[in-house]
Amino acid sequence: MASVLIVEGSIGEILESITVAKLVGGEPVVLAYGSAAKSGDLGSIGARVYKLDAIHPDPIFNAVKKLYEEIKPIVVVGHGSKNNRDVLSRLAGLYDLPMGTDITKVVEASDSYVVYERGFLSERAVAQEKVPLPAVLLVNAKVFEPASPAGASEVVELPVEEGQVKLVGRLEKQLSGINLEEAEIIVGVGRGFKKKEDLKLAFELAELLGAQVGATRPIAADYKWLPEDAWIGISGKRVAPKLYIAVGISGAPQHMAGVNNAKIIVAVNKDKSAPIFKFADYGVVADLYQFLPVLIKKLKERKGQ
Amino acid sequence: MGDIVVLVKPALNPDMVRTKPDGSIDIDAIPLKLDDIDANALELAKQLKSALGGKVVAVLLHKWGSPARRNRDLRMVTQEALARGADEAILVSDEKLADGDQIVTSQVLAEVIKKYVPEYSLVLVAEASIDQTTGQIAGRIAAKLGVPFISYARKVEVADGKVKVERDVEDHIQVLEAPLPAVISVTQEINEPRPPTLIQIRRAAKKPQKKLTASDLGITPQPKKEVVQYRILTVTRKQIIIEGDTLEEIAEKLIQALEKEGVI
Ligand SMILES: Cc1cc2nc3c(=O)[nH]c(=O)nc-3n(C[C@H](O)[C@H](O)[C@H](O)COP(=O)(O)OP(=O)(O)OC[C@H]3O[C@@H](n4cnc5c(N)ncnc54)[C@H](O)[C@@H]3O)c2cc1C
Ligand SMILES: Nc1ncnc2c1ncn2[C@@H]1O[C@H](COP(=O)(O)O)[C@@H](O)[C@H]1O
Repeated sequence: MASVLIVEGSIGEILESITVAKLVGGEPVVLAYGSAAKSGDLGSIGARVYKLDAIHPDPIFNAVKKLYEEIKPIVVVGHGSKNNRDVLSRLAGLYDLPMGTDITKVVEASDSYVVYERGFLSERAVAQEKVPLPAVLLVNAKVFEPASPAGASEVVELPVEEGQVKLVGRLEKQLSGINLEEAEIIVGVGRGFKKKEDLKLAFELAELLGAQVGATRPIAADYKWLPEDAWIGISGKRVAPKLYIAVGISGAPQHMAGVNNAKIIVAVNKDKSAPIFKFADYGVVADLYQFLPVLIKKLKERKGQ
Repeated sequence: MGDIVVLVKPALNPDMVRTKPDGSIDIDAIPLKLDDIDANALELAKQLKSALGGKVVAVLLHKWGSPARRNRDLRMVTQEALARGADEAILVSDEKLADGDQIVTSQVLAEVIKKYVPEYSLVLVAEASIDQTTGQIAGRIAAKLGVPFISYARKVEVADGKVKVERDVEDHIQVLEAPLPAVISVTQEINEPRPPTLIQIRRAAKKPQKKLTASDLGITPQPKKEVVQYRILTVTRKQIIIEGDTLEEIAEKLIQALEKEGVI
């Protein structure tokens, strides 16, 4: 039977990718690095496992390349994490393999080709593409049901082979641990807020509504006014609250891609031609600094009743 | 030391998606623009240029449909790359290379670098584009050029023939070091690109531009990926603007609407 090479940095992702391997009809062979390589569950996932104690791309790439040449898989599959995209795009470049990224659905799979869907035009559209095998496929999280661990697996530890790029340091990110994916109501903040302290308006609104606070990419990743796990969008989190209140957010497609599944979207923006109004159910054209205090006051009155 | 290559994609503008009467996407009618994060890469090149001593070369490959109908857009994107700090631009546009996949794109771009900018010390690529967002061009090109690769750079410094990068990973930042030449993909956080000034725009018109075809490169790569279909993602939102004489009235109406929706 043909094999499918699975490359992942976490156990949960390995199990989802085993499902993809079965869909394509191949025997899963797993390369586990990062936290996956350290997991006690590796021995029971029921597939041949190679583990590699590395967190940066060069050693992972060297291991992937060796395994690829050795087992000649029909598909290399993994999630679209930054390490995976780094090493697997190099593999694709080396052998001119077609590569599908951020796959949201497998439409058809055979032993010679795969048809899948992915976002296009910053997810304002969907592309259905067909690639011949061998190919590299990077899937989105939670698209595929995780396979159940299928019993004892043979685990082989691979030596760490460095490349020319050396890891010389590590900086930790301040993360809050909030779970936006589970939130029922989210207040989203954007660059309409002029300084970090002003976000207290959003937090006050959120508290009244029992909501969490999320943000656009610049607020979380560039200005660092909020931890990066508050980052919503195509390169951040995908959320599905029943209510999303976007405050001072322009409505860039890369942000809106993360809130497509919200039931109701409210937009507060002072510019009446801001794109967000086309992607909202209810729009308020107003300065957030004037409108939020009024909204907060009204919500307090309602609570008091 | 050497030149800095910046890969600049003339990308479909996702804010201006156009459809045909039958509802399918009208690619030819969507304007092209200089890809968002490529502007960050150009800004970085401008900053690093003095440390490296070479020139900044923007390399662009036209990829959407017939180049003939895209002349104006392509000229604008090329001019903008020059106005944003490139000293020279190389535009590859050829019917035979249009509508290719990432295999075609990376083969062409790697070939241009090898043939026309052989003295490069850095190739800067954006982490992802706004139209296709595959994020795979940088890695493919590094593999083809056979040089070190560092992705998702939030900070880049060069000194003594080496590059030091702060690389974003999901939950931490890695500090990595590599010898030059190298390929680096940059994130949007790396800097805040300033829109070009009038003087920069005027100067851009006088900078050297090269136009290449497949025959100049001597290759005609073949795509492996096939597009089965593109379809628009229809978001059906109510788009109701809440009006009122006072903010109190608007707030009141909004709360009522949300109560009626059963979401608060
Ligand atoms: C490949 C790629 C991936 C990306 N991924 C993401 C992602 O995952 N998530 C994300 O969010 N972005 C992402 N981006 C960035 C995205 O394109 C936008 O730049 C970003 O979302 C804009 O953030 P913003 O709305 O906060 O800021 P802006 O676009 O600057 O909008 C600010 C808005 O606030 C309004 N405003 C200003 N003052 C006030 C006021 N006093 N009261 C009310 N309104 C006011 C303005 O009218 C404006 O509409 C990505 C970009 C690229 C290229
Ligand atoms: N046709 C192109 N011409 C020049 N650069 C490109 C082209 N396609 C992709 N790139 C570069 O690769 C980046 C990522 O593109 P993508 O892989 O489509 O997400 C772009 O932002 C550019 O820096």
